[in-house]
This record gives sequence, structure tokens and C-alpha cells, in this order.
Amino acid sequence: MTTCTPSGVLATKVGDGCAENPYLCYQCKRCTAGCPVAEHAGMHPAQIMRAVQLGQYDMIFDDKFIWLCTGCQTCTTRCPQGIDIATIMDELKIIAWREGKVHPDAPSAAMLKLNYDSFVRWGRMWEVELIARDALRRPKGALEWLSLGPKMLLKGKINPTLKRGDTDAMKRMVKTAESLTRAREQQRRAEPRSGGAAAAPKGDAAPPADKGGGAS
Amino acid sequence: MTSIAYYPGCSLHGTSGEFDASFRATARALDLELVEIPGWECCGNTAAHSINRLLATALPVNELAKVEKDLKLDAVAVPCAACFSRFKTGAHEVARDPAVADDVRSVVGRGYDGGVTVQNLVDVYHDAVGLEALAAKVKRPFRGLKVACYYGCLLTRPPEVTLAEDPEYPTHMDAVVEALGCTAVDWNYKTDCCGASLALTEQDIVDSLVARIVNDARACGAEAIAVACPLCQVNLDGRQTEIARKDSAWVGVPVLFLSQLVGRAIGLDDKTIGVSKHLIDARAVMA
Repeated sequence: MTTCTPSGVLATKVGDGCAENPYLCYQCKRCTAGCPVAEHAGMHPAQIMRAVQLGQYDMIFDDKFIWLCTGCQTCTTRCPQGIDIATIMDELKIIAWREGKVHPDAPSAAMLKLNYDSFVRWGRMWEVELIARDALRRPKGALEWLSLGPKMLLKGKINPTLKRGDTDAMKRMVKTAESLTRAREQQRRAEPRSGGAAAAPKGDAAPPADKGGGAS
Repeated sequence: MTSIAYYPGCSLHGTSGEFDASFRATARALDLELVEIPGWECCGNTAAHSINRLLATALPVNELAKVEKDLKLDAVAVPCAACFSRFKTGAHEVARDPAVADDVRSVVGRGYDGGVTVQNLVDVYHDAVGLEALAAKVKRPFRGLKVACYYGCLLTRPPEVTLAEDPEYPTHMDAVVEALGCTAVDWNYKTDCCGASLALTEQDIVDSLVARIVNDARACGAEAIAVACPLCQVNLDGRQTEIARKDSAWVGVPVLFLSQLVGRAIGLDDKTIGVSKHLIDARAVMA
């Protein structure tokens, strides 16, 4: 089942959140051609961009693509329209967290949260903790490390101990950033837009500077 | 001796101690004083920019403010490519958008005036030290060891942020290894993604990406792969052992940090630069 939101609502959210204009995409698919994970998901980056333009929530959030995106920035680098597509993928993840639309079968999504919690807790990200907590939650994750983990430990490749950062400073920054982010979100909701079209935060008329090889 | 701030990042204290050790040792030998940022925090890595955009910008800017206001230095070495990307992105965001800069100032508690140059591992050897000064320090040159320089994603992309001259086919790392007596091979996967943190959750995808990268390096004649990112190293090295476990015909290619190659060439001993820490044995190519 696919539900549509009124066209423009999702694009507006994306545009407000990351100052990118999804409507600049004209489906050349250079993003998809260079994407290292496109072949491993149901959707590919150009399809995600179209779905954002059309407000197709479920098409995006029922697929695992955004959680497989490695943030390699190839799409952003090659987009002839100068759209920061990798940032739009991040914004879609942020919307998914905020609106309870995180894919239930995407271990990478859970891993991002474990990672976030780890650096918030210790001031630094503790790699061994991520693997251990993921293994407790997901036995398949533990199986993957049975062979490689001990080899890395024996070689001294992994240092299992942690040196904390300035945890007080970290907690203070996280608290301020989270509350300020919520406040900005409420401000946006309190200022409804007319017409339902996404705000065009940049480049709605002028074409972006050529990044080389885009237009010839 | 030039002083430069140093931000090691979490991976250099976790899975890549030999990256930290070899970087520090080479800097010392190349007359570069590294001043570690006191009480540094995680840069927020992939998780922060997928969860809270403001925090993702504020965390690296907080470190840059420490370098600028507390250490009063004008450059910071960030050898981890992922941290480097977050530092460059943070600085870029506050410089281009005053509203973002205001919110970041609220989170950090003070402003950052943009006075710090962020250098990745390649920049340190190529620009801060310089190719001539580096070549002059070489005591044990490699005798033409064929090296594939793997830049991965974030040293060069996106170019608006990194200001990389040639984001699709960079050559600065190639110039550094040539200064050490290596032969840099031309190959196709210099800037392709290794799968990054998917190695924790989607190993099959990472294995297919790593196999493609290593197969091309080998086919182009490389005897070793040089990297400048802890995650690239652990993926290319570690996943090769997993690929080899399933494919007995797999011929491993050793994966070394650029700092280890520099260290070997300027005469540091194997133990200092951690040559034996890798799963694909690198001792033969470093002998």
C-alpha cells in the first residue's frame, strides 16, 4: 500500500531541514550511476529524489536505501544541478527518526543510534561497545565477528579500552543542540507556508556553478 | 620546528592504534610538533549528521574553536578521513550560513572565526612538510614498490568542502609515495567507497565493494595499497581475510597507512609503526 502526502509537504520538510532544493533534480541519474549501494537496495538515489518531489513517503521509508547510504558523497560531487544529495539522504534519516518511520529491518539504523549514544555517554565513540551492544541485540551480528574479531584482537589491531573525552562538555553540547533543534522545528511548524510548494532555499533561478563535466 | 594542533579521533585510539603511533613518530622525525587538543571530543562521525544536524556541525567547530582560541594555532592535523570531513564540513557550514553559525555558537558556548586550516594525512606530508623536505629525510627508499594509492571518499569529496583539486582522480598521495621511492600505479578505484561503517552491519555489501577495489589494484600491478583513513584500512584489510576464508584462490594485497610507508622510508623501525598489526601480512613489502 502506498500513501501519498500532498505533493510538496515532504520536499518542504527536506528543504527546511537541510537548505537543499529537491525540485532542482531532473532525473539525469548520475547519482545512481556512481552510488556504491544502489544495487543492494530496492530504491536508488534518483528514485529517492523523485519520491521526495512527489511526496511519496512510504516509497522512501519502506525501503532500506537511506539506511544503506554510506555518505560517500559521490552523488553530491557529480550532481550537475549542484544538489547536495547525500545531505538530503541524511535529512530523510532525521525525518524518519523524528516521525517514527525508521525501517524495522535496517541494522544500520540501530547501529547509528548505538554510535550516537556511545559518544554522548563517553565523549568519544567506543567501537568495541558498538559491536558488543549490537551482538546482544542481534545474534547474527555476533556471528559475523566470530572469525575476524579474535584475529584482530590477537594482532593487537583492536584496543578494547576506552579513553574518555570531556563528558561534561559533551553532555552540555548535546542537550543544547537537541533542545535548539526542537525549538527550530516548532518555529517552522508555527509558520505555515502558502501554496504547499517547497521553499527554494537556494538556486531556484540561477543554475549552480559548473562542477566540471556537468554541462559542456 | 613547526607546531600544529592534532586531533586523533576515536578510531586512532580504538581499532587503529598503529595509525596514531606511526603518524606521531613520522611527524616528530619530520620536525613537526603535534599539539594534541586537550580533552578532545568525538567529532560526531556518521551518527551525528544522520541524527542531529546542529550537533554534527557544532562538535567539530568546538574543536576548531579550541585550536583557535586556546592553543592559538592556525592549523590542525586530522589524519582520520572521516573526522577530516566533519571538520571541513563544520567550518564550511558556519562560514556560509550566519543562522547556522549563531546556533552553533549557542551550542559550543563561543564563536569560531575560521582561522584554522584543517589538514588530512596527505596534506600534512604533501603541504605542511613538503615533498622536497620529505624526500630529503628518506633514508631507506622503497625500491620501486608498486603502490595503489586509495583515497576513498572523504579526502576529496565533496570538493566544495574539501577544496580538493581533482576529486575524481587525486594525485597528492601518489606524489608522496613517489617521494619515498615507491611507484604509484594508475588504477580505477582510487576514490570508490569501501562501504565504510556498513562493515558493522552489512558485511556482504562491504565484501563486494572491497573485492572490486582490491581486484582492480592487483590487476593494475599494485603490490600494496596505501590508505589515509582508519575505516578504509580496517575494511580493506579485515574484509580481505573474510573474502579469502570463502575463496581459497584469493591473493591478499597488504593495506598500509601512508604514515607507515613514510615511517619505513625515513628509517623508523617496524615496531614503532606497527607493521605486524595487519591481517594481510605486510612485512614482506615493508622489508
